Amino acid sequence: MHRLPTLLSGILLVFLTSWLGVVAYSTLELGRLQPAPDAETGATLPPNYGGDAIAGERVYAAEGCASCHSQQVRQTSITGTDIARGWGVRPSVARDYLRDSTAFLGSSRLGPDLSNIGVRQPKAAWQFLHLYRPGSVAEGSLMPSYSHLFEVRKIQGQCSDAALDLPAEFAPKPGYEVVPSTDAKNLVAYLLSLRHDYPLPEAPVKKAAGAK
Amino acid sequence: MSTTTCRHEEGIKAAHESCIDASVRSPLLLLFGNALHWLVVAAFLAFLASVKLAFPGFLGGVAFLGYGRLEAMSRDLFLYGWASQAAIAAGIWLMARLSGRPLGGVILRTVINSAIVLWNLAVLLGTLAILAGYSTGVEWLEYPNWVSSMLLLSFLMIGIWVVCLFDRRANIGSGGRAETALWYIVAGFCCFPWVYGTANLLLTWKPVSGSAQGLVQGWFSGAFLLLWLLPLALASLYALLPRLSGQHLHRRNLSPLGFWLFLLLGGWAGLSRLIGGPIPAWMTSAGIVAGVLFLIPVLIAVINLAFLQRSGGHDGDGIAWQYLRSGLFLVLSSALLGAFVSLPDVSAFARFTGVTSARDVLWLLGAVSFTLLGVLHKATPALLAREVWCAGLSITQYWLAFAGVLLLAVLLFLEGLVVGLALLDPVVSFLNITSYAQPFHVLEAAAWGIFLASAVLAATNFTRALAAERLFPKN
Repeated sequence: MHRLPTLLSGILLVFLTSWLGVVAYSTLELGRLQPAPDAETGATLPPNYGGDAIAGERVYAAEGCASCHSQQVRQTSITGTDIARGWGVRPSVARDYLRDSTAFLGSSRLGPDLSNIGVRQPKAAWQFLHLYRPGSVAEGSLMPSYSHLFEVRKIQGQCSDAALDLPAEFAPKPGYEVVPSTDAKNLVAYLLSLRHDYPLPEAPVKKAAGAK
Repeated sequence: MSTTTCRHEEGIKAAHESCIDASVRSPLLLLFGNALHWLVVAAFLAFLASVKLAFPGFLGGVAFLGYGRLEAMSRDLFLYGWASQAAIAAGIWLMARLSGRPLGGVILRTVINSAIVLWNLAVLLGTLAILAGYSTGVEWLEYPNWVSSMLLLSFLMIGIWVVCLFDRRANIGSGGRAETALWYIVAGFCCFPWVYGTANLLLTWKPVSGSAQGLVQGWFSGAFLLLWLLPLALASLYALLPRLSGQHLHRRNLSPLGFWLFLLLGGWAGLSRLIGGPIPAWMTSAGIVAGVLFLIPVLIAVINLAFLQRSGGHDGDGIAWQYLRSGLFLVLSSALLGAFVSLPDVSAFARFTGVTSARDVLWLLGAVSFTLLGVLHKATPALLAREVWCAGLSITQYWLAFAGVLLLAVLLFLEGLVVGLALLDPVVSFLNITSYAQPFHVLEAAAWGIFLASAVLAATNFTRALAAERLFPKN
C-alpha cells in the first residue's frame, strides 16, 4: 500500500463491490422492468400519466415537495403502520415507479405519505383548496400555503368556472376570485394520478384490505 | 551535540513546511474563504426554513422562498459550498504537507485556481437555479445537470493532482506516521468523481427508469457522506491529532483493517436509508448489516485517536485541537446513531422522522464540519505565517457551534421519537401528531439561530485575519 497503483487497485476493487451490487444491479435488473398486463381491462400497469401530470411532476420537483412528503408504502415485514394508517393497500414495489421520470421516494415525513394521494383525496377541488390554504381543509396543518401557484383577480362579468370555492374566512375580498395557474392545474393532475393500489404480480392486492 | 543536531533538523523541517505552505497559500485561502461564506449562507437559509416550519405563515406566498426550495438550497450549500470545498482544501493541504511536495509551476497553480473559481460559480448558479424553480427534485442532487458537470470537471482539475502526489511523496516506502491519513485522502478523492458522476449520470444526465432510481439515490446519499466527506474528515484526524499531541497512534496495526472495512461498508451503508422501501429484500438485509457493521471501522479510528493527549505545544493550536477532538467525538456519535436507526425494529418507527434527520445533522454539521473547521484553524495561521485568530471570537464561535449542533441533534432525535412512536398507533390522526412536533420546531429554529451565529463569527474571524494580512503584510 506504499505505491499508488497498489492502493488504487485495492480501492477500486473494494468500491466496485457496492457499485456493482447496488448501482449496476438496480440499473440492469430493476431498470429493465416492464409494465404488467392488467387482467381485467387489458391495459398495462402501472397506469400511464397524462401530459398534464407529466408537467405537474416538474412542479413537484421545483417546489421541493419531496422535502416533506415520501412516496412509498413500506414492506409489511418491517412495519405494518403505513397500511394500517390508510396510506396504501399494499407495499410499494420498484415497478410502481416505472412511469416516473424522477422517482420521489422521499426521506422525510413532515407531511403524510403521498403514494396513494390520488385515491385518498380524488377530488381536484379539495387539492386546489389545500394547496392555496392548507388550513381551509386540514385544520392545524403545518403545510405552507402555495398561493403563488394561484392568481387572485377581479371578477369580470361572470365568475370563472375554475375559481376556488373558499370558506368565508379564507376568501378574497368581495369582487375578487382565486383561480389556479397552469402550474397548479398540472400539479393537481400529477397528485391525482399518484396511486399504488392496483395489483402487480409481485404485489397482489388483498380484497379484504382494510379489515385490520 | 545530539540536541543541536535535533534542533537543526527541526529547523530544516519547519523551513520546508513553510515553503510548502507558501506554495498552496492562494488556492487554500480561496477554498477556505469561500467555504466559510457558503456556510453562512447555508446556515441562514436553513434558519429561514426552520422558522417557516415553526410558523407556516412566515414569508408565505413568495414562490422562491417556499420551504422546499429553501431546504434544498441550504442542504446543497452545506454539501457542495461548505463541506466539499473545505474537504478539498483539507485534502490539498494535508497531501502537500505529508508528501513533502510543494505546489510547483505557474500552469498547475492557474489550473487549480481556475478550478476553484469554476466550483464556486457552479455552486452559485446551482443555488440560483433551485431558487428559480429549476431543481431536478432528486434529493442531494438538486442542481441542474449542467451545474453538476461543472462541479465534476472542477473536481477532476484538482483531484488528479492530489492523487498523483501520493506516488511522488518524498518519504515513499518509509512507512511514515501519517500513512493512514494518506490512504483516506486518496480514497476520498477517488470516490468523489465516481460516486457523484455515477449518480448524476443515472439520475439527472440520462435518467434510468424510475424503478431503479430509488436504490441509486439511497446509495448516493450514503456514499457521498461516508466515502467522500468522512474519509477526508478521518484523514484530517489521523494526520493532525497525533501531530498536535506529539504521540503515536494507539493501535496502528489496526488501521489498515479499519480502512478497508470502511471502504467496503461505506458503499453499502446507504441502503440502510431504504429499509422497508421498494427494494429487493436482500438489499434491505444488506443495508441493515452494513449500517450496523460500519461501527467497526469507526471504533478502530476512535481507539487509535481518542487516547491521544495534548502535551503543551503551540498555544494557538488550542482551538484547532478542540475542534478536532469534538470532531472525533461526533464521528463516534453519528456512527452510533447511524447503527441504531439501521436496526429494523428502530427503522420501523424512526425512518422518515427527526431521528434520521438527527443522524444526517450529526454526520454533516457535526462530524465532518467540526473536523474540517479544525483543519481550517490549524492551516490558516500556517498559511499566513502568523497568529491570526482572535482568541475570544474563536472560543465563542466554537461553543456556539457545539451548542447549536448538539441542541439541534437532540431536539430532532426527541421529536423523531415522539412522532415516530405516535405514528405506530393508526387511531391518532396525522394532524394530531404534527401538533406534537410543533414545539420542537420552534426550539429547532432557535438551535439553527445559534448555529448561524457561530458560522457568522467563524467567517468574521477569517475575514479579519485576511484583512490584517493585507494591511500589514509580513514580507
